[in-house]
Amino acid sequence: MSEFLVRRFGMAEDDAAVFWQHMRTPARSFVMLLCLLGITVLCGATLPVHWIWMIEALSTLCMVVIVLVISMEVTHEPPLIRLFAVVGFFWVCILFGMTLVDYLFR
Amino acid sequence: MSPLDSTIRDAATAQPTIGRPKDYLHEKSTLASWFFTIDHKRIALLYLASITGFFVIGAFAAGLIRLALVVPNGQIFSNDTYNKLFTIHGVVMVWFYMIPSIPTTLGNFLIPLMIGAKDLAFPKLNLTSWYIFMGGSLFTLFTVLVGGVDTGWTFYAPFSTTFSNTWVIPALIGVIIVGFSSILTGLNFVVTIHTMRAPGMTWFRMPIFVWTHYAVSLIFLLATPVITIALSLLVLERGFGIGVFDPALGGDPVLFEHLFWFYSHPAVYIMVLPGMGVISEIVPAFSQKKLFGYRFIAYASISLASLTFFVWGHHMFVNGQSEMASISFSVLSFAVAVPSAVKVYNWTATIYRGSLRLDTPMLYAMGYIGLFVIGGLTGLFLATLSIDEHVHDTYFVVAHFHYIMVGGTVLAFLGGLHFWWPKMTGRMYNEAWGRVGALLIFLGFNVTFFPQFLLGYLGMPRRYHQYPPEFQLLNILSSAGSTILAVGYFFPMIYLVWSLWFGKRASANPWEAKGLEWSTSSPPPTHNFLAEPVVDFEPYDYPIKARERV
Amino acid sequence: MSAVGVSPVGVELREQFNNTAQQRHAATMGMFIWLITELLLFAGLFLVALILRITHPASVTAAAKHFKFWIGATNTAILICSSLTMSGAIELSRLGWQRGMVRFMLATASLGSLFIVLKGYEYVVDWQEHMVPFFLDRSYALAGDSASELFVNLYFATTGLHGLHLITGVSILLVLTRQAAAPGYLQRHQNRIEIYGLYWHFIDLIWIIVFPILYVLNR
Repeated sequence: MSEFLVRRFGMAEDDAAVFWQHMRTPARSFVMLLCLLGITVLCGATLPVHWIWMIEALSTLCMVVIVLVISMEVTHEPPLIRLFAVVGFFWVCILFGMTLVDYLFR
Repeated sequence: MSPLDSTIRDAATAQPTIGRPKDYLHEKSTLASWFFTIDHKRIALLYLASITGFFVIGAFAAGLIRLALVVPNGQIFSNDTYNKLFTIHGVVMVWFYMIPSIPTTLGNFLIPLMIGAKDLAFPKLNLTSWYIFMGGSLFTLFTVLVGGVDTGWTFYAPFSTTFSNTWVIPALIGVIIVGFSSILTGLNFVVTIHTMRAPGMTWFRMPIFVWTHYAVSLIFLLATPVITIALSLLVLERGFGIGVFDPALGGDPVLFEHLFWFYSHPAVYIMVLPGMGVISEIVPAFSQKKLFGYRFIAYASISLASLTFFVWGHHMFVNGQSEMASISFSVLSFAVAVPSAVKVYNWTATIYRGSLRLDTPMLYAMGYIGLFVIGGLTGLFLATLSIDEHVHDTYFVVAHFHYIMVGGTVLAFLGGLHFWWPKMTGRMYNEAWGRVGALLIFLGFNVTFFPQFLLGYLGMPRRYHQYPPEFQLLNILSSAGSTILAVGYFFPMIYLVWSLWFGKRASANPWEAKGLEWSTSSPPPTHNFLAEPVVDFEPYDYPIKARERV
Repeated sequence: MSAVGVSPVGVELREQFNNTAQQRHAATMGMFIWLITELLLFAGLFLVALILRITHPASVTAAAKHFKFWIGATNTAILICSSLTMSGAIELSRLGWQRGMVRFMLATASLGSLFIVLKGYEYVVDWQEHMVPFFLDRSYALAGDSASELFVNLYFATTGLHGLHLITGVSILLVLTRQAAAPGYLQRHQNRIEIYGLYWHFIDLIWIIVFPILYVLNR
């Protein structure tokens, strides 16, 4: 990859190596996100079986986790911020859970 | 005045005026230095002035409501005027007084002082949130005064989206804007408490006041966005026909109520928790005794802030939610009583065998404990499904939440204001007037609201301005009480303002209280402490320890 | 270009803080907390979507079939690309390569604008296909199915709110890029790039949830 940068953008070899070293993780998450999007889109476009929504939901969940953990670098943050990230989603679960207790038992 | 008082007060005069370092009040005195200040203490005073104004407006509307209810046939105001009056009272008191009251004034002033910081983490954001608050609240005030809104403070769909003929959209927009100010305040507090504590100020050395404000900030942050979106959906539905709750299309207005109460029930704890923090400071100081069960109160604050998100459905027992939901919400509502009771027992245990001084702040604190117990216990009645079916939407509910909100929040606010008044202004108020005011408010409050429990239990519905003649006696009693309450409120407004110019100068620690805020001068310098404090003492380190026999 | 154009990286200390580590920590935490409030803001809309799917499953499917699935999918891919360029800008700001960082920021803003343009085009198609039930003088494609209107309304509310965030995001990004191009910026405010990056990734994250909820599930 760094050779590509050298050839295509005329970067010095050292710089290209440093740059690629820094971009490796974001690039990996980018590829993973696109693959997961591909799965979701494929499932949505073909609709092979009626329970396919579970796969779609699972793939979305993975995408959310990847953005949070890799792109937003939650794992690099102190435990406190990690806790906050979890708390946010937990509170969404409270909102959904308690409301569903109403609608699922009507 | 007891001899103890006079020795404390005399210490105040010992501090010379000349040679004092400049404090935050006298650093600069131009108008711009107030309106563009980023000092948390000055912003707290800006908030204090604004919410006092809103309190007066809301109280005036309440007075007119009580006036209308003196006669049973509703001759004093028309139906529409009466509806608009209680909407003004509800909207102004809930959104513009109760919710911001203690956090934005006492909280803003004291949190950095109590944790030994120079300021909040984001001072400019703090000022911004005041401007957002003023913009939103004045806009809403204009709306409810000029156009009038008749939905009550709850804005239930489909009445608010389809049927009401009043200025609902501007009122909604104003409330949404004020929500952002709450969010920014909460954000500032959480970040400050996490990152700005002085060396040695560990979590379990923080005063309970800071713990409760941390809990309140969590509620601000986690609940407010949900009501923002719920009210925005109302605006879209009413203004543009982009509706998701419209029953004519098959939508479900109960869904709006779920979203609304997901915020608005926790909002009750936004009002109550800071009050609990204030009481937890006053009670040990005036008992000169270590706070009983410090850790339990700290944990109880956090657990109240979390549990409160699981109980919103108890506002909707008769609104058509499923029976399963009603039962779950009812059971969970009982659970909230546990941490609340923990606090009450802890305060009582702190008072027990303490060296009591019944000064004004302590009078308010004692009043708070008693009224909060009544309000809390009647809350348990209402959490019981079968009783709620009977008293739902009656004056029983009105009396219950006024015992919590007025008996709780307002008394705590006034108590805290008196307790920290010397710190905020550098002046002492007149103690005798203070005590008379506190007693009048306690008396007036009970005469106003206790009859409403009886009225509600007998079946008088809320929000009606006509009622059967047999209810008139209790209604007159309630209205008479409200005049005593009004007179009581005038007392602090007059003598506190008077003290700004003529009060005795206060020493750094007029109450012999413990805590970092009392270690700096009164009023504090702009950056709070002349040197960064180092904390090497435990909280509430009062002379009388919990287990000692006196 | 080794060492050429590399500027020192750091943060200017504000008076209420004791050291820059504390200041950086506070700023990052503030942004994370703000994003939590944003999450709960959108959660309200997601909840409405879920309840509509429970109460009117057939109508929701009928409405969802009319949404522009492929535009939505393309837009998701565009935002994922913009996340990559934003990550690039952050990495370059840490290295102090200011010119490269500015270019990555501009690329991010262009991808964001492309999303907005495609979204606008999608609204135009919705209009042409009579999928705007709240315009009362325009007939509605699913006129017999009134419950489907609710989901269409929710679609406009959700994508509108997301679009508003994106427009705000692009505007702030352009202003920030202009400031960040000034000499010495990275020495004073490097952490602003990182904090802004969090916001941008978060807009991406919200869309990643919105896309399946509105367009994909059971279409």
